[in-house]
Amino acid sequence: MPIGGFVVHVQPEEKEEILRELSRHPQVEVFGHDEKGHLIVVLETETSEEMEALVEELSRLRGVINFNLAYLHAEDEVKKIEAGEIKPEIRFHRLRPEESS
Amino acid sequence: MALSRREFLKRTAALTAASLVGMNLPLKVDRAQADADRWVRGTCRFCGVGCRVELGIKDGRPVAIRGVPQSRTNMGYLCMKGMLFYQLMRHPDRLTKPLYRESKKEKFREISWEEALSIAAKKFAESIKNHGPDSVAYYGSGQALTEETYLFQKIMRAGLRTNNVEGNPRLCMASAVGGYITSFGADEPIGSYADIEQAFCFFIIGSNMAEAHPVLFRRVMRRKLDNPREVTVINADPRRSPTSRIADIHLQFKPGTDLALLNAMAYVIVEEKLYNEDFLNNYCTFRVGKEKKEVSFEDYKKFISAYTPEKAADICGGNITPDLIRKVARIFATSPATMSLWTMGINQRIRGVWANNLIHNLHLLTGQLCRPGADSFSLTGQPNACGGVREGGGLCHILPGHRPVKVDKLRHEVEDLWGVPRGRIPAKPGYHTIAMFSAVNEGKIKAIWINCTSPAQSLPNCDKYRKGMAREDVFIIVTDIFPTKTTELANLILPTAFHFEKTGVFGCTERRSQLTVKAIDPPGEAKPEVWIAREWALKLAEELNDPVIKKCVEPFLGLEPGYELPKAIWTEYTQKLTAGRDNDLRGATYEVLQQLPDGVQWPAPTKEWALKGGTYKKFVRGLDPLADEHAIDEKPYQFYGPAHKDHKLWVWLRPYKGPAEEPDAEYPFYLSTGRVIDHWHTSSMTGRIKELMRANPYAYIEINPKDAQRLGIKPGDMVLVETRRGKNILPAKVYEGPMEGMVFVYWYDMAEDRMINRVTKDAFDPGSKEPEFKICACRIKRLSGPKPLKPYLVRL
Repeated sequence: MPIGGFVVHVQPEEKEEILRELSRHPQVEVFGHDEKGHLIVVLETETSEEMEALVEELSRLRGVINFNLAYLHAEDEVKKIEAGEIKPEIRFHRLRPEESS
Repeated sequence: MALSRREFLKRTAALTAASLVGMNLPLKVDRAQADADRWVRGTCRFCGVGCRVELGIKDGRPVAIRGVPQSRTNMGYLCMKGMLFYQLMRHPDRLTKPLYRESKKEKFREISWEEALSIAAKKFAESIKNHGPDSVAYYGSGQALTEETYLFQKIMRAGLRTNNVEGNPRLCMASAVGGYITSFGADEPIGSYADIEQAFCFFIIGSNMAEAHPVLFRRVMRRKLDNPREVTVINADPRRSPTSRIADIHLQFKPGTDLALLNAMAYVIVEEKLYNEDFLNNYCTFRVGKEKKEVSFEDYKKFISAYTPEKAADICGGNITPDLIRKVARIFATSPATMSLWTMGINQRIRGVWANNLIHNLHLLTGQLCRPGADSFSLTGQPNACGGVREGGGLCHILPGHRPVKVDKLRHEVEDLWGVPRGRIPAKPGYHTIAMFSAVNEGKIKAIWINCTSPAQSLPNCDKYRKGMAREDVFIIVTDIFPTKTTELANLILPTAFHFEKTGVFGCTERRSQLTVKAIDPPGEAKPEVWIAREWALKLAEELNDPVIKKCVEPFLGLEPGYELPKAIWTEYTQKLTAGRDNDLRGATYEVLQQLPDGVQWPAPTKEWALKGGTYKKFVRGLDPLADEHAIDEKPYQFYGPAHKDHKLWVWLRPYKGPAEEPDAEYPFYLSTGRVIDHWHTSSMTGRIKELMRANPYAYIEINPKDAQRLGIKPGDMVLVETRRGKNILPAKVYEGPMEGMVFVYWYDMAEDRMINRVTKDAFDPGSKEPEFKICACRIKRLSGPKPLKPYLVRL
């Protein structure tokens, strides 16, 4: 379960709405924010692909300017790759069932 | 109560993030717990910004990554592109054994390193004996470490007596090099990223900085947000992008009309007398033509009078109006400090050097240079295009330390420094990239070493060049970490160590050299390139019975390859080859680089200067030690660049020239190409990471909604893209990105149908020899509705 620490830069006038939106996501925890529009956000997801998708989704929220990574810890996942439990093999049909033939 | 491990890690993540913005969180962590055994400092290798990172190692494996807050490049911030690269280290598809086949029709078989190096030496030696030194070549990369590029080119030039040394920066940076040398007399930017925090106008042209350089773009946006009224962000680009959406002004012009736009801005500056007379009088001359003839300001005024905003608006199309050109020119000229930023949109052009010159012209006319916040700043795409290739001698016409090959004095200087006989390095530059692969096509090159890059995918009009690479009489060696489109055409594949699996220096966009220290061992039998090159040279010396080849690697014999060997190579390069040159790096020893969180900006002739971080701004007395050393008068700026003996900056008279291939009745669309944040370059690396692939699994073709409606193309439809060189079939993305009459394709996909460089044009700039990837003419047609697509990755 990767854990990522992010500084999210938002337009200050959109901050409250963005905080409300973030609170709807169970994988998102906001640890702090300031008047300049910085949010301290920690994401905890099942896989790093889920984290990546979540960042992409949250980056599109109105008023979000940057979603910057500061810290990432993914020991479990690295171990799983080594143990063969996760094979970071590129099989799109596995990732995108709607496009598989 | 003790925290759970997960809670501890979450708090650590939050505290690390909060520390970057000086926020105090009411959280405590138990210092007895640890997220990693040790942290190893290095540089991210996924673009040219040079973000400093630390890789966390636990039980010998990479488990975490974090930014370095004290770094002046990224201040602790990273982007998503860098966050997952530790996965590459553990990826099951990594190349781990040397692979060989005599014929390209055969399957590869595993061989030993001993056998592999013998074959590599034998094939190069045979070629040289039978066809001469220019029948062999090295094609390297802006992703190779400086030590690697330097050692390979030393062996090629002084050992094998050929200047056939090239690298993929020719495809992305060569026009910027040409622009800096012809305008300022010296390669690489005068200023630094630190100018961003002092600029009041950002002129971003031909760059989707928000996606391609996100960590740097954060600084631009922070500057804007902190000073919303004082700071203006201008983006000039034919395509709407995340960068243009955030800009205050978006200049959307037809592809290839930038020279008209830039000259028209200069017209306004001249007409409205917005130029800085003192700066022009003190520091500039006006030049024209191949002979670099000096002309007067009056001549320039006469020349520029042809570029009225009315005429330029006519040429540029899009949303460009005469008033908009006037407005932008006024902001550019009158802002307290203007910083221009650009990348491939300017460089990858048939007149890329001219386009660079015309941006520089605007800065020279207005004196927007050498002051805090004022600079003409070319962004780099690769982590070591500047450091390794431009400075380390990685192109066919330049030796290490910005020395042109053809200048006898400088060539002999290098021969003396290397202790090889004078005359050993040929006086004639080698083949530039397109000429090199044309020579492969013609069978003139019989053996080529391709290091850390995939020309079979990244060359324009690549089918043409893949035919040559597929020839049975061309022996191809590829050093890489993964199979690529180019390993498909290789005879010998040598597995290499990845980043953090070896030690070496990257030099980023802002003249900054930064060291990455080996943190873990490479997988299987993968080896650092410096070891491979050294051992190969020893075998070559035997095969060719030539002690001078051995002499090239003599200072490095017996050294441990993980740290001591690259250190010795860096020491030779910096202490000998950069001494007294404009990129003087003598102060930037490994010890100094390891002491500083973010490395050293050259010129840094002494350790004392290097320990202060080096030179933030070139040419300014008091800030640049060489400006004091080479001063010819009392003026505050001293332009001592090696290419301009007059110590002046040159304003160039460069006429408008359109692209090599413009749309016509047969091929009515502009086709432009680019990259996305998630798929850096040819995808052999980031494409391996499935979560990145999921975000943008296939190349698609971006079509303006108006064009799509006219042609009956709906989102997801399969579209045939045809140019005079070939065709692609891609799914459509109907999107207000490209302007009407233009389509845009990302170039990361390795599937044959979607590999856009099969159809791009290989016309190149006659000065920089950089191809015009950005523009050609195409036609498009709906083939069918959406179709399931198969991914494609090269397997051996």
